[in-house]
Amino acid sequence: MQRIPGAIAPSRPLFETLFNLPARGCRRFISSQTPSARRPAAPQCRASAQQYQPLVQKRFKYKTVEEAKSRYRSGPFSWKAGLLFVATGAGLLYYFEYEKERMQRKRVADANKGVGRPKVGGPFSLTNQDGKTVTHDDLKGKFSLIYFGFTHCPDICPEELDKMARFFDLVEAEKPNALTPVFVTCDPARDGPKELKEYLSEFHPKFVGLTGTYDQIKAMCKAYRVYFSTPTSVKPGQDYIVDHSIYFYLMDPEGDFVEALGRQHSPEQAAKIILDHMKDWKGKWRID
Amino acid sequence: MGLFDFLGGETDKRAEEVRSGAVAPLRTERQKCYVARDAYFACLDANNIVDALKDEKAAGKACGAQSKDFERDCATQWVTYFKKWRVQDLKKKQMLKELEAKGAARMDVSTEFKPR
Repeated sequence: MQRIPGAIAPSRPLFETLFNLPARGCRRFISSQTPSARRPAAPQCRASAQQYQPLVQKRFKYKTVEEAKSRYRSGPFSWKAGLLFVATGAGLLYYFEYEKERMQRKRVADANKGVGRPKVGGPFSLTNQDGKTVTHDDLKGKFSLIYFGFTHCPDICPEELDKMARFFDLVEAEKPNALTPVFVTCDPARDGPKELKEYLSEFHPKFVGLTGTYDQIKAMCKAYRVYFSTPTSVKPGQDYIVDHSIYFYLMDPEGDFVEALGRQHSPEQAAKIILDHMKDWKGKWRID
Repeated sequence: MGLFDFLGGETDKRAEEVRSGAVAPLRTERQKCYVARDAYFACLDANNIVDALKDEKAAGKACGAQSKDFERDCATQWVTYFKKWRVQDLKKKQMLKELEAKGAARMDVSTEFKPR
């Protein structure tokens, strides 16, 4: 049977011939008018019909002609094959998308990681809202989110700090104790530890407020590539507004800059970005 | 002002400090300022005044009461800042509208005061 030349698309007479095989026996092979008669060597008639039966059932496992016909009509496609095809496709698509996103994040993180010296960030020594000294070493072992602002800020800073509190909570809920939120003042003349404490307590109890001398703050802003300008010729006691950049700087546990988050990110988007970078982090974590 | 009368000079002193910029306003004080600001800007909108600093006379005439509240509830520096901000924001909105009319693609950037 396996030697039939037209087996790929067997015609109806062929089917009829094939399925009547056990009953008709050897005679059929000789008298057959179907294309199967054209095969080069007819099987020996000495071989009994029983000997061929298993082969027949292996190749065409239909019990009736109707079954064979219906199979012939639908071809090699079935709902099982279709499902397998769709599932495999969906799986591959998901995997490629996931890998693509991961590579994208890795590229962002790698691009922002300087060779040797980091491009953004660096060593600092400032005072927190409790009057204690905080250095870059205190931030190591965890991600940190650094925001620059000032307490007399009219609209953007409070708004952004509220947002920071919201996405900090979202990150905390998923990955507790992995992120340090830091607020650095650009207005050290007016924002001492006491002022920062009062101001930040209204946003989040875990916010770390940093201040210092004018030179310390200037060095810090320079390290983080933060632009700020205090108006010149301000008399003591006179009110003023500080102009400054408004980005959140996400730093990894080694103190390297990862990504800048801005006004365009909603708290949910920002939290997702941070959590994704945390998942990608392969280095050490500090547990305390 | 009943409640504040009874706290007496303490609140007045604090309000004065906020106005002069001696202390940074806290959340409630900021909120109060924003409310006064929005009321003032709504009045300017109704009277078609864009720049309250330039059209000082017209603004004073049309929105005197709101202006008084605005100056009472906000730091003096903030008043100036918000007035300038308003001009910039209106310009920006105008420009966006023009660009959109020309068929420019829109990006989702909020210029509102409310956090998203």
